[in-house]
Amino acid sequence: MAKARDIPGLEPGLSYREAAARTVAVRSQELFDMGEGVLDTSDIERVHDMRVASRRLRAVLEIYEPCFPRKALRDVLADVKALADALGERRDPDVHLSQLEEFAGAVKAADRPGIEYYAERVRGEQAAGNEVLSAALARIEDTDLRGRLAALAASASPEHDPRKSFGLRRPEGPPA
Amino acid sequence: MKARKVKGLDPDGALADNLERIVATRLNELCSFVPKALDPAQVKALHDMRISAKRLRYILEVGAEPCFGEYATTAIKRTRDLQDLLGELHDCDVQLPRVRALQEELRAADALEARARAGDAPDLDPTLASDTPHADCWRGLETMAIYLQARRGLLFERFLEMWRSLERDGFRARLLYAISERPALPAPPPPAPSPEGNGAAPPASLASPAEDDG
Repeated sequence: MAKARDIPGLEPGLSYREAAARTVAVRSQELFDMGEGVLDTSDIERVHDMRVASRRLRAVLEIYEPCFPRKALRDVLADVKALADALGERRDPDVHLSQLEEFAGAVKAADRPGIEYYAERVRGEQAAGNEVLSAALARIEDTDLRGRLAALAASASPEHDPRKSFGLRRPEGPPA
Repeated sequence: MKARKVKGLDPDGALADNLERIVATRLNELCSFVPKALDPAQVKALHDMRISAKRLRYILEVGAEPCFGEYATTAIKRTRDLQDLLGELHDCDVQLPRVRALQEELRAADALEARARAGDAPDLDPTLASDTPHADCWRGLETMAIYLQARRGLLFERFLEMWRSLERDGFRARLLYAISERPALPAPPPPAPSPEGNGAAPPASLASPAEDDG
């Protein structure tokens, strides 16, 4: 699991707002940096790292909730949660299959057909999970989640001009 | 499980003071699952406690090092260990019913097959229940169910031990104290030597109280 990146300049006396702006900017970048190759089922750690990044981002959005415009935060948070759920749809069968393989390797040969039968089911769930994830990744591109996160982070900063709210709104798109 | 609302947060206030409030709320939330979660049958309480541990861990990951006393960093590891163990327990709670459901599904399919084999016979010949399509799967699935049930029991014992150990070590009180501490500011750099070379007197800007803006 990738270690969370340090947030530059966090110190006790920093304003909560400024900390929100800095933290969300770093955690957002982390999320999108982990996006490469997540649909590849031969390397299950990629989806795991992106899922962890999505959870960390969701956690900081909740931690700094009072620092953001309510509506923009609600939309972004819902989209980050939807992405995290989609990553979970893929990750859960990934982990389960790995455990089943390990279990099948440890038990007697006569036990294996039953384990293999079960594993076949889970492979089907993995494929379905990958489709869910693929759709979720397309949706975050279509709705410019990255841009909205950047705008949200900037909106928390004490230097932010509230008249400049460009980029905070979720573009209208096809239903999730 | 919905997180408890944190009261009194101030966006214009200091980071550490706000995070202190959030950590205290999340810590109390985590501890509120005891004694309920110490009952192995309380599957939901154990699951909610895991989510609560995760929330506490994430807030500590943000604020422990920059804002709080040393024990807050130690508490990240303690919380992560607790979350991991409760996660393993939860996996057993999710997997065991799935294995049981699959066994039930295969049993029903095999029973239908045995019935079809009997055709118009007045009673079912026991041999028709042998070698059904999923007969070779029974043993492995039962082995897995036994494994999950036994592992769940073992992990729950470990959870009890871990929780007792946290209580014995004063986890809650120490973390509450640590979040009220603030790390010492780094010492100012030593004064540069004066051009005369004696380096004894501080520069006027450091020595004069009038320059001090608080």
